[in-house]
Amino acid sequence: MILIGENLNVMSHTLGPALREKNAGPIEEMAKAETAAGVDLIDLNIGPARKGGDELMSWVVETVQSVTEKMLSLDTTNLDAMEAGLKVKKNKVLMNSVSLQTSRIDRGLELALKYDADLIGLLWSNDGMPRDVNERAMHTVDFVYKANEAGIPNERIWIDPIASPVSVEINQVKACVEFMGMLGEIAPGCKSTVGLSNVSNGAPDELRCWLNRTYMIMLMRYGLYSAIVDAFDKDLIKIARGKRPDIVELVHKIMDGDTPDIASLPKEMANYAKTVRVLKGDSLYSASWLEV
Amino acid sequence: MAFEIPKTAYSGKIRQIKLGKGDKAVTVGGETAYPFYLFEGEMPNLPKIAMEVYDMPPEEWPEAALEPFAGVTDDPLAWAQKCINDYGAEMICLQLLSTDPNGLNRPADEAAQVAKKLCDAIDVPLIVWGTANHDKDTEVLRMVAELCQNKSLILGPVEEADHKKIGAAAIGYKHTVVASTPIDINLAKQLNILLGNLGVSDDLLAMDPTVSSIGYGLEYCYSVMERMRMAALTQQDAKLQFPIICNIAKETWKTKEAKITEAEDPKMGDAKKRGILLEAMSATALLLAGADVLIMRHPEAIKLVREMISDLTAK
Repeated sequence: MILIGENLNVMSHTLGPALREKNAGPIEEMAKAETAAGVDLIDLNIGPARKGGDELMSWVVETVQSVTEKMLSLDTTNLDAMEAGLKVKKNKVLMNSVSLQTSRIDRGLELALKYDADLIGLLWSNDGMPRDVNERAMHTVDFVYKANEAGIPNERIWIDPIASPVSVEINQVKACVEFMGMLGEIAPGCKSTVGLSNVSNGAPDELRCWLNRTYMIMLMRYGLYSAIVDAFDKDLIKIARGKRPDIVELVHKIMDGDTPDIASLPKEMANYAKTVRVLKGDSLYSASWLEV
Repeated sequence: MAFEIPKTAYSGKIRQIKLGKGDKAVTVGGETAYPFYLFEGEMPNLPKIAMEVYDMPPEEWPEAALEPFAGVTDDPLAWAQKCINDYGAEMICLQLLSTDPNGLNRPADEAAQVAKKLCDAIDVPLIVWGTANHDKDTEVLRMVAELCQNKSLILGPVEEADHKKIGAAAIGYKHTVVASTPIDINLAKQLNILLGNLGVSDDLLAMDPTVSSIGYGLEYCYSVMERMRMAALTQQDAKLQFPIICNIAKETWKTKEAKITEAEDPKMGDAKKRGILLEAMSATALLLAGADVLIMRHPEAIKLVREMISDLTAK
């Protein structure tokens, strides 16, 4: 399981201002901290960066690659900024992301080819977010076809089926898992990724980790290749590295319809059990889902 | 092989709760199947209709809505008695509109006196509804709860932001709480959990999913209520197995479509008929989604809905 650290992010209260002021200190610290935490890639999320995005991205890429050897994921919807980052990269990078929208896909693919970058294929089309598993499949076929035509092989495409918050629409949460099981057949050789923390968007901060970890296990079961994650969730990293087979086994059993007596489980296991039930749609989410 | 009609597999049941006290108390809930699916389960208590009474003379009501209450709109007690005696109301809902801080902002103690006068004089269950202003509702509903202690009122709306204080007063003075959330099933479940944690008994809890009229997002309310019933009845979600109260009248009658006169727009047709039908149709849709108590206004609309209930439950 490849982990992409999400923490170098323009939304952060400390890093947002540092990015705007091009203050290298906090950015370098975060890059070092994520490296030490053991993620495989570091996502550089500068947001839409409409004004001066190109200058900002090249600065961030240079700043971060001066302190870490980790592969970088350039995260912006501004393709000029994307290209500026690609121009100054030392090693191979991941473009996060190229969506299916007509206005973006051609240029995105062109950049991936020109700079020999891997790319996240975001299944966001002209109609917005895919509505179900079938639209995800359809968009994947479209995306891969266009990428291949442009000369990009499947191995360089990381499909992102878009995870949505459990509190918004449970069917979308389920569709993402179902899709992961189909991806290998639809697009052999393609990799996959998911913005994992989306699933817990809106949940109480201190409880989000339970949803993130459990959802990761569910998606990993169907071959999820990578995920964009909180680099500082130690238990999540342990699970991703195969060090918590006990939790994985429990989650798989419940996915298969097993109904363990949750009350008799130790607290940690009970939390995972309750969370799978919520993410499978067996039990309706509420902010107190771990208490009931 | 003979054809077999497929049946939903139900695993849960809506809680049966008693509203009010004495001879005129009503029981709602208890369903073991989707609304009016009498071929799949039971609906032991038919939905009830509470008639609205306002604590101040209505402003900007269309003529059709005022007509049935001519002469009593400045006296909540006379209004309530008219509803009970002339229109057969089995419940009353006192809307404490005068307490609205953006309106008359009447003090809590005055409003509570009105509630007290009403609950002493009538014997049908009394719903007391605030203005959804958290600070003011906390003040008003707490005082109502205390002044009308042991009268088994039904107090609403109780929202996440004011649930602790109003909930505690309801527990202390033995009233039913209406948990109100903004058209969101996850938030509805959460508030029920919070009220349970606070100590509100499962027998003293009903839900208000927040509803709107035909043409103003009724479909969305319908779908949230439908999902509540699916979770309650087919997923054993104990935290959603509560009766549902829908405060629909004011949502219908405030719409442009209910207010505009025939003279202003002849193609809209007869205003009275239109308003009544809008209320009755909105209420009927909510019944089909799972409403256990409807708060309604026009006697003719109520008559239509009662007929619908009786048609749908005819043996």
